[in-house]
Amino acid sequence: MTLTLTLKEAPPLRVDLDSLVPARLATLATQAIERLPLRLGSDTVAVADLFRVRVATDDAPLLRLEGDLSRFDRIGQALATGRIDVRGPAGDYLGLGLAGGSIAVDGPVGDYAAAEAASGRITIAGRAGDFTAAALPGNLNGMRGATVIIDGDAGERTGDRMRRGTLIIGGQVGPLAGSRMVAGTLAVAGPTGPGLATGMRRGSLVLLRPFADPAGPGPMFSAVDSDFPVFWTLLSRLLMREHRAFAALAGTIPRRLVGDASVDGRGEILVAPS
Amino acid sequence: MTAQVINGVQIDETFAEAFPMKATRLIITARNLTWARHAGTTLTGFATSVIACGCEAAIERELTEDETPDGRPGLAVLLFSMSGRELARQVERRVGQCALTCPTTAVFAGLQDGEPIALGRNLRFFGDGWQASKVIDGRRYWRVPVMDGEFVCEEATAVVRGVGGGNLLLLATGLDDCLAAAEAAVAAMHAVPNVILPFPGGVVRSGSKVGSKYAGLHASTNDAFCPALAGLVVDSEIRAPVRCVLEIVIDGLTDGDVAAAMQAGIDALTRPAAAPGLVRISAGNYGGKLGPFHFHLQRLQAPGPGPDKR
Repeated sequence: MTLTLTLKEAPPLRVDLDSLVPARLATLATQAIERLPLRLGSDTVAVADLFRVRVATDDAPLLRLEGDLSRFDRIGQALATGRIDVRGPAGDYLGLGLAGGSIAVDGPVGDYAAAEAASGRITIAGRAGDFTAAALPGNLNGMRGATVIIDGDAGERTGDRMRRGTLIIGGQVGPLAGSRMVAGTLAVAGPTGPGLATGMRRGSLVLLRPFADPAGPGPMFSAVDSDFPVFWTLLSRLLMREHRAFAALAGTIPRRLVGDASVDGRGEILVAPS
Repeated sequence: MTAQVINGVQIDETFAEAFPMKATRLIITARNLTWARHAGTTLTGFATSVIACGCEAAIERELTEDETPDGRPGLAVLLFSMSGRELARQVERRVGQCALTCPTTAVFAGLQDGEPIALGRNLRFFGDGWQASKVIDGRRYWRVPVMDGEFVCEEATAVVRGVGGGNLLLLATGLDDCLAAAEAAVAAMHAVPNVILPFPGGVVRSGSKVGSKYAGLHASTNDAFCPALAGLVVDSEIRAPVRCVLEIVIDGLTDGDVAAAMQAGIDALTRPAAAPGLVRISAGNYGGKLGPFHFHLQRLQAPGPGPDKR
């Protein structure tokens, strides 16, 4: 079943959409979907108050959201199966705790996109805000297994405390990208900001551009000169397949730095030759 | 016994008796094929028979750069054992001693569907805490720092039900003719996918029967096929002009694979003038008591029914 929700007009306050997941909606009649409650600030409104609802019968559970949804948070939170397409901007916490399925956004998204996502796939055609694929405040682990592809830029602390999975940024990232990374792969095609990989324990940070700061990521990272062709082939093939910005990685040999020595020190920054 | 004769070679009306085993395939890659062969040869060394080797293993075939996960040349090896537990032990021991140690190699699972057993899961501890893992496309790899860089090994490989003990017995007028026939059959059977011939050069001269006059021995010489015992043992299969017998043993991922290899061997030996001096092709069985897979030689020659499974 394809359920299309088209926004009538932008709401005055933020709205949580965490209850709208395709698998659950597929079990409901159209009228029941229209009556589903949504939190609007401290009030409750019905889906039909905010959206025009259209239902088309087909096999794949698909929720399509249309309009300026930048005030709609938690789209696809804990999604386990099915697909959500967002045609327009999306709010904060997109795909928070994603457990499966896929989310595609053809515009920008807010903060904490893919935070603590465990599985599944998120693609974002626009910019992502701060703390993409990070941990919620107070939690130890950020993204823990999903694949997230962002065509545009990403904000501060991208991949903060990320533990597993693959996060690919087609544009640039703000300060402190990869900070406190526990593991996983963060690949950035564009420029990086200050504080890169601060507190990185393990994991891989792949860069296509030299460091913004000529001094590099700081004294807690050391350049190492050793061969790792097998791993690089496996990883670069994945990146090349997932995003066009990395298409030129074939046959390259990246520079490798390891750190952050002030913590576990087993993280690596791989800088592809420009 | 009704024999069939094809271009002067008698095909006995008998069957090879095979039994279920546990099997896995590993992909070994290296900087070049020479080093992949070094690893593959040692990893599959001393693996002719589960009777005393723990597993039966051999190089299945060589792989081009396009066929391997890391784009380097490599080998596919197959390993068979009588239990998944023993196979896991053999895989870990052999990969640890023969691939981890071999310059430039990496090891990957060659089968994806089946019960997983450890491949790099425990070998990673050689890294003494410096090992790192990475999940790529849903498969976990371990990177273990070693003196030439790093050893990359997939976390696990899959175990499937295989078939061991398919066999052909080649009876010829002399040693040279028998060796030539065996070599020709082995060459043809090597072209069949999903099978290995675990004995040296694919050939075994010490075919065995179940049991022995000596307590504690599970197998002993196949006296019925020993030319030196013709006239001494009651059920000798040796008749003039046969003076030499060699056996080819086949392990495969499925009974169909074993049957295909046996058929390829027989086809290669029964073409006109293909194997001068080859008199008979027979097979070893134990009256149906050892294993559930029965490969009837004469039925292999005819298209249609595959092996019996009892």
